[in-house]
Amino acid sequence: MNELALAAFAAAADLHATDRETRSTRFARFAEQFDSTSYLHDLASRGIRWLARSDGGFPRRLRAIHDPPPGVFVRGAADLALLDRAAVAVVGARSCTDYGARVARQLGCELAAAGVVVVSGLARGIDGYAHRGALDARGATVAVLGCGIDRDYPRAHTQLAAQITSGSGLVVSEYPPGVAPAPWRFPARNRVVAGLAVATVVVEARERSGALITADLALEEGREVMAVPGEITSALSHGTNALLRLGAVPVTCADDVLEAIGVEPAARPRDEPPPGAPAVVLAAIDDGARTADELVRATGLAADEVAAALTELELASFVTAAAGVYRR
Amino acid sequence: MVARTVTHALVGLDPCRVEVEAHLESGVPTFAIVGLADRACQEAKHRVRSGIRSAELEFPRRRRITVNLAPADLRKEGSGFDLPIALALLGASHQLPAANLAGHAAVGELALDGRLRPVPGALVAAEGARRAGLERLVCAAESGAEVALAGVRPVPVRHLVEAVAYFRGEHDAPSPPPPVERAERAPPDLADVRGQERARRALEIAAAGSHNLLLAGPPGVGKSMLARRLAGILPPLEDDAALEVTRIHSVAGLLPPGAGLLRTPPFRAPHHGASAAAVIGGGPSPRPGEVTLAHRGVLLLDELPEFSRALLEALRQPLEDGVVAVARVGGRALFPARFQLVASMNLCPCGARGDPAAECNCSPVQLDRYRERLSRALLDRFDLVLALPRPRAAELAGGRGEASTAVRERVVAARVRPAHRLRLEQPAAALLDRAVERLPLSGRGRARVVRVAHTIAALAAADVVQADHLAEALSYRSPAELHVA
Repeated sequence: MNELALAAFAAAADLHATDRETRSTRFARFAEQFDSTSYLHDLASRGIRWLARSDGGFPRRLRAIHDPPPGVFVRGAADLALLDRAAVAVVGARSCTDYGARVARQLGCELAAAGVVVVSGLARGIDGYAHRGALDARGATVAVLGCGIDRDYPRAHTQLAAQITSGSGLVVSEYPPGVAPAPWRFPARNRVVAGLAVATVVVEARERSGALITADLALEEGREVMAVPGEITSALSHGTNALLRLGAVPVTCADDVLEAIGVEPAARPRDEPPPGAPAVVLAAIDDGARTADELVRATGLAADEVAAALTELELASFVTAAAGVYRR
Repeated sequence: MVARTVTHALVGLDPCRVEVEAHLESGVPTFAIVGLADRACQEAKHRVRSGIRSAELEFPRRRRITVNLAPADLRKEGSGFDLPIALALLGASHQLPAANLAGHAAVGELALDGRLRPVPGALVAAEGARRAGLERLVCAAESGAEVALAGVRPVPVRHLVEAVAYFRGEHDAPSPPPPVERAERAPPDLADVRGQERARRALEIAAAGSHNLLLAGPPGVGKSMLARRLAGILPPLEDDAALEVTRIHSVAGLLPPGAGLLRTPPFRAPHHGASAAAVIGGGPSPRPGEVTLAHRGVLLLDELPEFSRALLEALRQPLEDGVVAVARVGGRALFPARFQLVASMNLCPCGARGDPAAECNCSPVQLDRYRERLSRALLDRFDLVLALPRPRAAELAGGRGEASTAVRERVVAARVRPAHRLRLEQPAAALLDRAVERLPLSGRGRARVVRVAHTIAALAAADVVQADHLAEALSYRSPAELHVA
């Protein structure tokens, strides 16, 4: 069977590529006309690789799902063996909170630092931050597209995609060049995200969301599903908290994930904050103070001393700031 | 018979000498004003006629009256020509000795009962008179104090009769009334602000270094309240600046009657619906806009992203050069516009971002669109950017803050120190290098941080810029939330 022809046919006919389609007369006619050599040549000239399901290098975990794609198109310079390494999907809401963004980025960073491949969907919000986190650690990350391999969707993430492909990451899609993003393709994309990963971590999700579809697909394949707890009053935590109630593994740090998938955490010596005001300020942050003004009151330091200390702490990566709120 | 008086027309903020000639000849009675007089100026005929009659003087009867305003090609606007026209007419009709008009300029509007009303720009007219070598300026009584500022002896008169009596030599020039000591409405005081230590500190730095300041945060955290208190901690204007500011306000007609030199830095807060011409300056014949009215003072743009994009981009030129060049058919003018910009904005269209008690419902696309309204180039003009989170209730229950006068004393002390000549101490330079490496800090951003660090060192009365000063300056760089992802 010609898997490349099936992928091209499904794209041209706007269908989901299943083996059933190969029995249709339309496909037979299409396959007859299809010139796979020149198609592959065209792909190669655009820097796109094709990895058929029957190929020995096709990721084993993805082949194991019940509805694997006929193959994947791949952009990026990294070795295709990357797709078979231990991988964790980090997914979540597109419109996330600062909290979600921070957690996704930190998880991405720490997982990548431990040598785990971070898989996500290049979407806005959580997906994007997970990729960025992995890039922060100069680690490996895989972005799975819900549109043609030649597109960067959303457009706002063009630069992010470029960073992934030029670094030690890959952008993959089951759709050949030219396929426009369509709503029904995103759940299909999510099965590839879940399929590539050993475990799926949901960072923030509303009650009905694409991230929960990914989690469901992962569950069906018997993969680990984990969720980051959120505030019970936030709509963006309803989905994740519901997963936890159903028995998903709670994630409080990257080590929770690493432990669940059996990867040794990278040794991270915990640094001591710079002595003096920064140490005092950091202790106050640990005690729950959040804004510069609260820190002024909690530490008894002046506003200028707190400001200087916060900069020191930010530069040394002890705290991050979002909208004037400082967190560890 | 011809008689002449001199007055000055406004071209932008500058005076232009105008000779008013009145000519009488016998013939069918007419009254014509020639010399590109606008509508208000043409209507002078009626005010002058009634004014002269009310003063129990004689309006020339059975005469052809021609009044020429020279140079003929300069557009004359406004009602300030009433008095010089009336004086020239009275001179031409021998009701006062025309020769006595020499050495005098005149400006003022006539009421129908002959009383004199002040007109905008009397200070500029007086400067013109001084430059033209004229020693005295006849003006409305309310303008006396203003005219005296230009170094010209004012002849303040309340009524046309007084002016005529003066020129007839019946009595000497009345002495100008002393400037009215207005019980100036005190600007809002910082003591009203509870908590907000960080924002107070940023205001103090902004005042000490004339830095532009952007306050971002959810609605109701006190952004506008804080911004409005900046003017109150600025040092009073020095002589040159005060004269400049007074001139601008005189031209704009914003000088309170009888006021002398304006010593308080101006504070202007145009609404976000304001047109670009109103803010930048313009109109058919160029008039100063809000940026010029805020010259040497504070321009507050509340809800910055709500201003039109065209207006915000047009602000970049005055922010850079300190002047606005307005070119129109009616003329070209350069207006000074060296103002300190203070702006406030929400962190997202719905305003919930930065507020732990609310949940932001803005979609990523909405957020991007909101952030795109402010160009990178405009954000780069703010030396200090502050994200203000919502304070907890406990903070608001605290006592009153430090009063503006105490803060102003520190600002004044810092301003006299030559801040820009300070050297960066070695640890400070090392910290800056580390920050440039770690943070998304552009070349311009780096220069901005150094500038702010200098001001902080000046406030601390330090001889060098220390690492702590630089670290604090770094904390006021613009946060990632304001930039398009």
